[in-house]
Parts: sequence; C-alpha cells; structure tokens
Amino acid sequence: MLHQRLWESNLDLARACLAHRFVRALGDGSLDPDLFRGYIAQDALFLRAFAKAYALALARSEDLETLTAFHGLIGGALEELKLHGSYAAEPGIELARVVPNAACRAYTDFLLRTAWHGPLPEIVAATTPCMRLYAWVGAELAGHCDDAHPYGRWIRTYGSAEFERLAGRMEALLDRVAADTREVRESYGYALRCELDFFDAAMEDAA
Amino acid sequence: MEIRPWLTAPLISGAGSLWEEATRPPFLDALATSALPAAAFQRWLSQDYLFAQGLTAFQGIAVAKVPRDCHHALIAGLAALDKEMDWFETQARRLELDLTVGPHPVCRRYIDFLLRCAYTEPYPVLLAVLFGVESSYLAAWSAIPPAGPYAEFIERWSNPAFADYVSALGGLAERHPHPSAQPGFNQVLEHERDFWRMAWEG
Repeated sequence: MLHQRLWESNLDLARACLAHRFVRALGDGSLDPDLFRGYIAQDALFLRAFAKAYALALARSEDLETLTAFHGLIGGALEELKLHGSYAAEPGIELARVVPNAACRAYTDFLLRTAWHGPLPEIVAATTPCMRLYAWVGAELAGHCDDAHPYGRWIRTYGSAEFERLAGRMEALLDRVAADTREVRESYGYALRCELDFFDAAMEDAA
Repeated sequence: MEIRPWLTAPLISGAGSLWEEATRPPFLDALATSALPAAAFQRWLSQDYLFAQGLTAFQGIAVAKVPRDCHHALIAGLAALDKEMDWFETQARRLELDLTVGPHPVCRRYIDFLLRCAYTEPYPVLLAVLFGVESSYLAAWSAIPPAGPYAEFIERWSNPAFADYVSALGGLAERHPHPSAQPGFNQVLEHERDFWRMAWEG
C-alpha cells in the first residue's frame, strides 16, 4: 500500500519528531506551559490552513466518495480547532493576535500553495503525514498518561481510537487517489519535514 | 551620480534593515572577486532556474488579477522571464551544469510563498511582492562591477532596461497601495536573504 511505503520511507523524520525534546517534555508532563501555549497558538493558525486545504481538495473531487471523505475530514479539523479554542480560553493565549512564526508560515504556505495550485493526489500527500504523525505520537504517549497529566487532554485526543480512524481514512484516500510518483513522495516527505521544523520552532517561542 | 528612482520607493524605506540584508549578500562579493566556489555557483544557478519557473507561475496568476494599467509591465516581464529561462538553459549547457536537481527547502519555501500569495492575496499585494523580488535583485547585482568571469550574469540584472522595468513596477505598487503591501514586501526580502545564504552556505 502506498501509504505504508511513504510512512516507512520517512520513518526517520517521524522518529525524530517523537524523540524531539518538545514532544518528550509534552509526553512526560515537564513541558513549560508557556511553550505549550505558544505551540497551541501556532497550531491553531496551521489548522485553519489545513481546513482550507481540505476544502480546496473537496472542490477538486470528481466522485461523491472523495467529496464525502473531505467533508468528514473538514469536520475533524474543525473539531480540533474547537479543542484549541478551549485551550485559548485559558489565560495566556490570545489566538486572534497570534503572528505565525517562520516554521508555521513555511508549512501553511506549502499546504495552501499545494491546495490551490497542485493536483488532488499532491494535496492528499501533503495533508496525510500530519494526521498519521499525530495519531502515532498520540498513541505512543498515551501509554504513559494518567488522569493527572498536565497535557492529558491533548495526548488523549491524538491517542484516541477516533483520531486513529481519521488518520486511517486519510490514508485510504491517499491509496485510492494517488500513485507512487516523485511529486507525491516529495509532498509527503516535505510535509513531515515541516512537522519537525514546527516542533523546533515551538521550543523557541512562548505565547 | 546615476539616478535610481526605484530606490526611493516607500516600500524600500519602509523595510528598514531588511533591505540591506537582502541586497548585500556575501555570495555576490565572492562572485565579484572571483572567490566563489564552483559548488556555490552551481547551487545558485540550478536553484535560481527553479525559482524563475515559480516566479513565472506567480506572475501569470498576477496578470490575471491586476487591472489594465498594470498589464504592459507585467506581461512584458513574463516574456522576459521566458527568455531568461532559455538563457539559464544555455548557460547550464555551456558550463555543463545540471539543472534537473530538485528544489532546496529554502527555494521551495520562497516559491510556496509566492504561489500562496498569488492565489490568496489581493492584486496590490502581488504588485508589492513582485516589486520586492525584482528591485532587491537589481540592487544586489548593481552593487558589484560588471566585470570578470561572471560579467554577463552581473550585466543581466543591473542593466538600464531591467532598471526601467523595476521602476515601472515600483510606480504601479505606489499607485495601488494596500495595508498588506509592506508586510508582503518584507517577506520577500526575508526570502531573498535566505536564498542568497543558501546559495552561499548550502
């Protein structure tokens, strides 16, 4: 299956994300709350671009099955944004005033350029890695997460069976609409590279 | 003293120190003194060729969005870009350089930015962005004398016809202001700075 080949050929990047000090600190609960808030604020900007990319992919869908799949995925992205909105209700985050950092800009420019300008297979290849990575990281971290964990809600969201299903649906879509081309491989690999850069940037700016 | 009206553009003065950062790259100092490593030159040429392709797509979309008074400059600029890519291909053959390499992440980020803008920003911002791309290039290449083994390259982006094109773009950007024009212009300068650094450092 294409999704498996792409994931496995980029496993070094996925492992680098899991081993990233931001993710490790989030997993063991030692992450500075300011860094977490800064990250959530950037991620909310990213998710808006993500939802738009899905919408543009939906507009390119030729059959009802693909159209319906993107409709469901947009719903998932909006649910995630609601979660971010609830974090934002906590002190220290003003989502409306957040300016994207360089990593967030690069990632959203890539997503929106691909979504506006590229064909459907490349859009799916650009959006799948985020879903798979977060489902994978969430599941890995969930094993060490008890009720008192300060970031338990975040970990349980991405480590949930529901999020795993969403990632699986994305991968099934990838297998259905994309072929193993250089452009698809580049889109997938570059998206994971952007994920790693996103965590790097998250260590640098607090909200 | 040569008069350079494009240099007085409010967008340039509004960019502060970013303008210098984007237009005085060590890469070009090394090129001017023939101290440029061959690998750096090859990297620049292959990545700039890819960039020219991205800019062509950007400008094509911009042409579709701008009002009538912008057509002449932008369409003439598109035709010049087509010739420029021919010229890149000729240079690459002459120097036996490979133009089929993929985009460096820095080059990719710049093109992603341009194309995202092309689709999502209003046309006045696209004018500011295009003026940023071309004026910073003109300024950078004009700062070194058109001599030595790379004279043809220096001449290409510092000649009076190119300066006239840049002046025309500056005039259009001034005639069609927008609150997001300066941020767009500044982001171009950041990408220019990073692109030169990538060409120089790898």
